[in-house]
Amino acid sequence: MHAAAPPPQPFFLDTGAAARFCLYHAPLGACRGAWLFLHPFAEEMNKARRMVALQARALAQRGFAVLQIDLHGCGDSAGDFADATWESWLDDVACGAAWLRERSGHPAALWGMRLGALLALDHIRQGNAPAALLLWQPVLNGSQALTQFLRLKVASQMLTEGGDSGGTAALRQALAAGQPLEIAGYTLAPALALALDQLDASKLPPPACPIHWFELVADAARPMPPAAARVAEAWRQQGANVRTQAIAGPQFWATQEIAECPALLDATLAALTGTVHAA
Amino acid sequence: MQPDEQALCFPCDGDWLTAVLSPIGPGALARRGVLIVVGGPQYRAGSHRQFALLARSLAAAGIPAMRFDYRGMGDSGGAPRTFEDVDLDLRTAIDRFIAAVPGMREVVLWGLCDAASAALFYAQHDRRVAGLVLANPWARTNDGLARATLKHYYLARLLQPAFWKKLASGRFDVRGSLGSLVGLVRSARGGAAPAAQERPSTAPGPGLRERMLAGWQGFRGPILLITSGADLTAQEFLDMVKASRPWQKLLADPRVQRQTLAAADHTFSRREWRDQVAGWTAAWVRSW
Repeated sequence: MHAAAPPPQPFFLDTGAAARFCLYHAPLGACRGAWLFLHPFAEEMNKARRMVALQARALAQRGFAVLQIDLHGCGDSAGDFADATWESWLDDVACGAAWLRERSGHPAALWGMRLGALLALDHIRQGNAPAALLLWQPVLNGSQALTQFLRLKVASQMLTEGGDSGGTAALRQALAAGQPLEIAGYTLAPALALALDQLDASKLPPPACPIHWFELVADAARPMPPAAARVAEAWRQQGANVRTQAIAGPQFWATQEIAECPALLDATLAALTGTVHAA
Repeated sequence: MQPDEQALCFPCDGDWLTAVLSPIGPGALARRGVLIVVGGPQYRAGSHRQFALLARSLAAAGIPAMRFDYRGMGDSGGAPRTFEDVDLDLRTAIDRFIAAVPGMREVVLWGLCDAASAALFYAQHDRRVAGLVLANPWARTNDGLARATLKHYYLARLLQPAFWKKLASGRFDVRGSLGSLVGLVRSARGGAAPAAQERPSTAPGPGLRERMLAGWQGFRGPILLITSGADLTAQEFLDMVKASRPWQKLLADPRVQRQTLAAADHTFSRREWRDQVAGWTAAWVRSW
């Protein structure tokens, strides 16, 4: 029986409208590095919660400090989803990174999943330099992600109202006219939608830190998805230190039931405890 | 100004559970609080944050509320488990909730879907549980699902003009739909299980409905039953009631109050539906 890490410590960073729910996983033994987790968008965050908890605990067990932060209007944090802006999320990243650095004594590395990965990249674009970057199935194109989210609304309109309402184009027009949309229970504010629409990882300069990039694929014989491979290759040509890995497993952020992917947990742990991210 | 919420962490048989408490204003006292039990493939924030918003709404109405992840879900440790095995998690959470709110003596368990079923199993075994709010309770058997689907989904669709328009425009997947219809008819008649499931949860153990009935019969407190009109889980529960004398007797009891949201789906995925459910809950908790 080996020693166990201390229990995760839930707390609220700041108070009132600025309160952000955080879960801190203290490292077992001497701290070898610190990771700030940035969660996916809307319901994907809920479905991924278990996998993220498992990975965070495994990292803490191996000596890493891990902080999960719920962004403005998400999860247990203050505010309504409709109040959230891309800027308030970027502020949250900065606050979380500062807290983690102070608490752990290590500069924060960023672990972003899905849209959280794009948020991490945009945070870096603003001139921040994390110690390392861990990407789990990153959303690379905000506009495409927005279209996929809008399709949920189109589908629900077809089922309940039966009509063809003009598809995602009509919904984009409504947003552009300043109309919030309620989609799958989340109220999407026009400002957030417009910010998402303009994000494109392929147009961002590659991060200067070591990058660990994981994609989940249907079976082990499959390569990285082409869009991901293209961006990673472009970054490499610009001198970035990128390690990509395709892992066979379920798309646990989108499955109906809560799914686990032990292969991703193991591969991530192996990558981060290896030589690339020596603290 | 609402007081800030509190993050809590407490042990349950060697694992750590994570919870969020929504307290009421300073100086206010409440004898009764609401413990939100999470059902389905969700953690304590709920689908589209329904439980986070419900807890805040209750606290603003003077009712302390807490929600938590049972073992193996969300941020809580331990191996995954089904809703049929969470009695200790519920007891531990009630202990912590009561310890955290001075003056609070009893709780109402609020559960959606299989959490409503879990609350029914547990309630009679803990005197601190004063009442139950059961939203779209989970009473699924494959056979019952097939009946509910046939009756409520297919028949309702056949009556919709949009269905016929879609059919005429060629956008309706006739082969796929007929295939699933045939499977459902077979299943409803006691044949093979349907391939399509609306929300496949952990397979119900034998006697799920019997355990729910025994839980309801054994519990003496008031119950608020909330059902959605556009939800197969709710329809299946109500079909079960219609087909059973003991269930009809239980629901006719004056201690049971019923509310129905005709247009709502399983998780009340619109703000107006969420607000209605929160309003009914707060009014009911203060009514007795």
